[in-house]
Amino acid sequence: MAAPDHLFALRNNFYLGAYQATINNSDIPHLPSDDAVEKDCLVYRSYIALGSYQLVINEIGSSAPTPLQVVKLLALYLSGSENKENTILRLQELLKDAAIGSNPTLRLIAGIIYMHEQDYNEALKHTNAGGTMELHALNVQIYLKMHRSDYAEKQLKIMLQIDEDHTLTQLANAWLNLAVGGSKIQEAYLIFQDFSEKFPMTGMILNGKAICCMHMGRFDEAESLLLEALNKDAKDAETLANLIVCSLHLGKSSSRYLSQLKLSYPDHMLVKRASAAEESFDRAIQANA
Amino acid sequence: MLTKFETKSNRVKGLSFHSKRPWILASLHSGVIQLWDYRMGTLIDRFDEHDGPVRGVHFHKSQPLFVSGGDDYKIKVWNYKMHRCLFTLLGHLDYIRTVQFHNEYPWIVSASDDQTIRIWNWQSRTCISVLTGHNHYVMCATFHPKEDLVVSASLDQTVRVWDIGALRKKTVSPADDILRLSQMNTDLFGGVDAVVKYVLEGHDRGVNWAAFHPSLPLIVSGADDRQVKLWRMNDTKAWEVDTLRGHMNNVSCVMFHARQDIIVSNSEDKSIRVWDVTKRTGVQTFRREHDRFWILAAHPEMNLLAAGHDSGMIVFKLERERPAFSVSGDNLYYIKDRFLRLYEFSTQKDNQVIPIRRPGSTSLNQGPRTLSYSPTENAVLVCSDADGGSYELYIVPKDSIGRGDTVQEAKRGIGGSAIFVARNRFAVLDKSSNQVLVKNLKNEVVKKSGLPIATDAIFYAGTGNLLCRAEDKVVIFDLQQRLVLGDLQTPFVKYVVWSNDMESVALLSKHAIIIASKKLTHRCTLHETIRVKSGAWDDNGVFIYTTLNHIKYCLPNADSGIIRTLDVPIYITKVSGNTIFCLDRDGKNRTIVIDATEYVFKLSLLKKRYDQVMSMIRSSQLCGQAMIAYLQQKGFPEVALHFVKDERTRFNLALESGNIQIAVASAKEIDEKDHWYRLGVEALRQGNASIVEYAYQRTKNFERLSFLYLVTGNMDKLSKMLRIAEIKNDVMGQFHNALYLGDVKERVKILENAGHLPLAYVTAAVHGLQDVAERLAAELGDNVPTLPEGRVSSLLMPPSPILCGGDWPLLRVMKGIFEGGLDNAGRGAEEDDEEAAEGDWGEDLDIVDANGMQNGDIAVVVEDGEVQPALM
Repeated sequence: MAAPDHLFALRNNFYLGAYQATINNSDIPHLPSDDAVEKDCLVYRSYIALGSYQLVINEIGSSAPTPLQVVKLLALYLSGSENKENTILRLQELLKDAAIGSNPTLRLIAGIIYMHEQDYNEALKHTNAGGTMELHALNVQIYLKMHRSDYAEKQLKIMLQIDEDHTLTQLANAWLNLAVGGSKIQEAYLIFQDFSEKFPMTGMILNGKAICCMHMGRFDEAESLLLEALNKDAKDAETLANLIVCSLHLGKSSSRYLSQLKLSYPDHMLVKRASAAEESFDRAIQANA
Repeated sequence: MLTKFETKSNRVKGLSFHSKRPWILASLHSGVIQLWDYRMGTLIDRFDEHDGPVRGVHFHKSQPLFVSGGDDYKIKVWNYKMHRCLFTLLGHLDYIRTVQFHNEYPWIVSASDDQTIRIWNWQSRTCISVLTGHNHYVMCATFHPKEDLVVSASLDQTVRVWDIGALRKKTVSPADDILRLSQMNTDLFGGVDAVVKYVLEGHDRGVNWAAFHPSLPLIVSGADDRQVKLWRMNDTKAWEVDTLRGHMNNVSCVMFHARQDIIVSNSEDKSIRVWDVTKRTGVQTFRREHDRFWILAAHPEMNLLAAGHDSGMIVFKLERERPAFSVSGDNLYYIKDRFLRLYEFSTQKDNQVIPIRRPGSTSLNQGPRTLSYSPTENAVLVCSDADGGSYELYIVPKDSIGRGDTVQEAKRGIGGSAIFVARNRFAVLDKSSNQVLVKNLKNEVVKKSGLPIATDAIFYAGTGNLLCRAEDKVVIFDLQQRLVLGDLQTPFVKYVVWSNDMESVALLSKHAIIIASKKLTHRCTLHETIRVKSGAWDDNGVFIYTTLNHIKYCLPNADSGIIRTLDVPIYITKVSGNTIFCLDRDGKNRTIVIDATEYVFKLSLLKKRYDQVMSMIRSSQLCGQAMIAYLQQKGFPEVALHFVKDERTRFNLALESGNIQIAVASAKEIDEKDHWYRLGVEALRQGNASIVEYAYQRTKNFERLSFLYLVTGNMDKLSKMLRIAEIKNDVMGQFHNALYLGDVKERVKILENAGHLPLAYVTAAVHGLQDVAERLAAELGDNVPTLPEGRVSSLLMPPSPILCGGDWPLLRVMKGIFEGGLDNAGRGAEEDDEEAAEGDWGEDLDIVDANGMQNGDIAVVVEDGEVQPALM
């Protein structure tokens, strides 16, 4: 029997978006040093996911191991636009360093940052080689962003071979199913359903289920799931965005959610596209006026 | 073979099951007949009147009788209720081998070493027919269950079938002359009422046993040639069908199984063998180390067999009778015969779903044991003991539920047990390597995982988890993390029942139920004296379970009780409100409506949902000593109060709960001194002075009454007490009252009247009653006591009472939650009985309060002569 995986619960929580639970349960005694670094990475990434960038930047000193340094870079990158270019320069430096250039965490963060930059080619340069489940999962995500579900499927097959029951495999499977749509939606729904039976409910699982429901035209059910998610986190961008869509389909007013989203996340895709559409509309009116 | 019960004793030669009760008779070589309860495992009675071995014994089908025959040539008919032998039938001239009652007629057939078979009428206690023809010991003789036939086996190597139709006709219309004639015939010609129909020859040695098939025209026989032979007969002839070889020594007994197409035989080779009737091959063999088998018996109604051997007997069955089933929401999947069936609880619809592979009858007891169902994939796992533990995976086609009769090619595998752990994953136990294999629906291994303890079975424990059972403990194991989530020491767990919310689990072992949380934190353990069979959780968290003969409940605090008794064992599948869904041993779905009041009531009490308790008290009939004792024990005497009609119990409960009103009402009903006294004590404790006064009045406890008046400062009544004492001529009482009143003149007067002149003088002098003192001094003459000089005496005057009249501030009585509501309810219910009493009580008190004790009253009291001066 393999040694019990001390970080299993922690990782799982992180993958499923239970960030606070990751932080709260991070006090694991007697961890080997490798695991301890990974644990710290997970905890700091959880803080980043919760938006506490400054905390991460302050806590990670210059003597911290490479993976933590990279996580700090991510925090720096996300903390404000003025740091972005410096961060990317620093990142490129690290990537060129032969000693640490192939560090999986480094490559992962690089992938994430380039994905934020929407420079998918650059991102894939670093992540394509794979090596960890997270890298594979990120690949799937990038391919999906590029609308190349065929490549995403290939990545998924690799993941299925490594560990079919891994949370990330299942999650990636669900993403792919959602992207492909059609009859695959049902499978995605079942995956999220399994998650909800196995693990504590998180906003991510609820949103996943809700999206499946919306795809299947069950907007009432989707709404109740989304409202449940909103109860867990009233400011979650994805929940708000999904609620807006769902409300529109149900013929309900979505303006409050929309204004909330605009206030909290002016850069959100939905906001941008809505305002872009408004502009186009205005232009069209002016053109016709 | 599933052994249900075993005894150790002298050699067992005869056995008989009772048709209704869980009893078996065993007649021993030592001459004793034992009556056992094989369910409880206790010896109920023993009958010891035969001299020498008792070889034959048989219960009557409906009367409380049994018959026995022994080596003392005697046939005895016993009444087991009266624990005695009713009479003895004499006639045989040698050992008696078997005795048997007829199903309908008042007949007994007996076989004897005197080479005859006799039929007796146990009502007239006479021998009505002697069947002669065998020319060696007759080893057994039995009636056909339906037709007028007897089959016998003898050491003359033949089996004979006798036609007793004539005997029946005669008995059914017993005209006098025919009876007389037949009597003559019997005496002269050895009887014409019973004639040999067939003589079956084929065995090479003496035949020990022969038996009819319960419904087909078949006979089976076993002989010293070590063979079992199967015979067939029609109206005109009988012939040998086949021979079953296998026993290594004399076959002592053989019989057809009533429910399955099998023959069971036993032998002096120390084995019991099971044979397939149609294939005529051996199916199973059970051996004992040292004991030769002598006798077999089958239960007339249930699927039970018994065998007697050199050192005792065993009661056993050949196959499990528990249908494999799995509950999923509103659906119950279960296996009956060779079909998977679906039962919907809400509509009570029962449908055949798909046929499954029938286990070959070459291997008994290998039918499906457990069933696991995955609702999303509509897949079913059927586990059985075949091939040392194996499973089959069937996918139920969504559309074609119903008719199909072709067995789909199931995916199979070997494994101790197999269960679904996720919608498309199932776990299979590999006992040899103590591993669990996780497989997908294509039956491919996805993952392997070692198990933390030596596991011999796995059960479902929520998605991704397994409950592993070892000999003495269970653990919950997370398959993904390979972590033990919880463990619990338990007796050997046989079944696991999860509550609907998966928060609680009931672990059923043979004689115990353990309730634990989902992390296996122990909550409670219940022990049963008889086998626990099944159980299910109701919606409120009460565990409803069945034993062999009861449906019972278990509350979260381990309180348990019987809901009802059962005639036959059932397997609970679901509990919904007060309806219990269950499967019986024939695989039929049944619903049983139970009275859930008792446990719902107790549960409400436990959960402190007193509004429910109250409404239940109002609306339903809950009573009985058990309930009162329960409430008292749980600290709810005030609730119990509302169930009780018996005044004494009511009084005690009322005192216990401090409900003085009800106590008073009850005391009035009972009207005994002791009760009044206790009422007074409780009222005093609460400070309810008027009740105390009332109680004292009723017990005529004047001394206490006076003191009470003193304490409460009720001077009027105190002076009345003085009057009473006067009337009663009670000097001490008068003096006390005068003292309490501070009435010096009166005191002096009393002392004077009592003849204590010196005391009277001193009292008067000290209190400055000069004229009285002088008068007394004159009367005393020379004997005037001298008063101490130079001392200022303090006068003996009672202190002024703190509070005058009325009740003191009352002690707060814990009326609690049931205040008001219950009182009203109680009143309502009791109105019939106590209307008068209640009314009276009100008035009574008024009288006491307003007028106090009237002299009239007192006069009456005195005239009655009830007053005992000794009281004072």
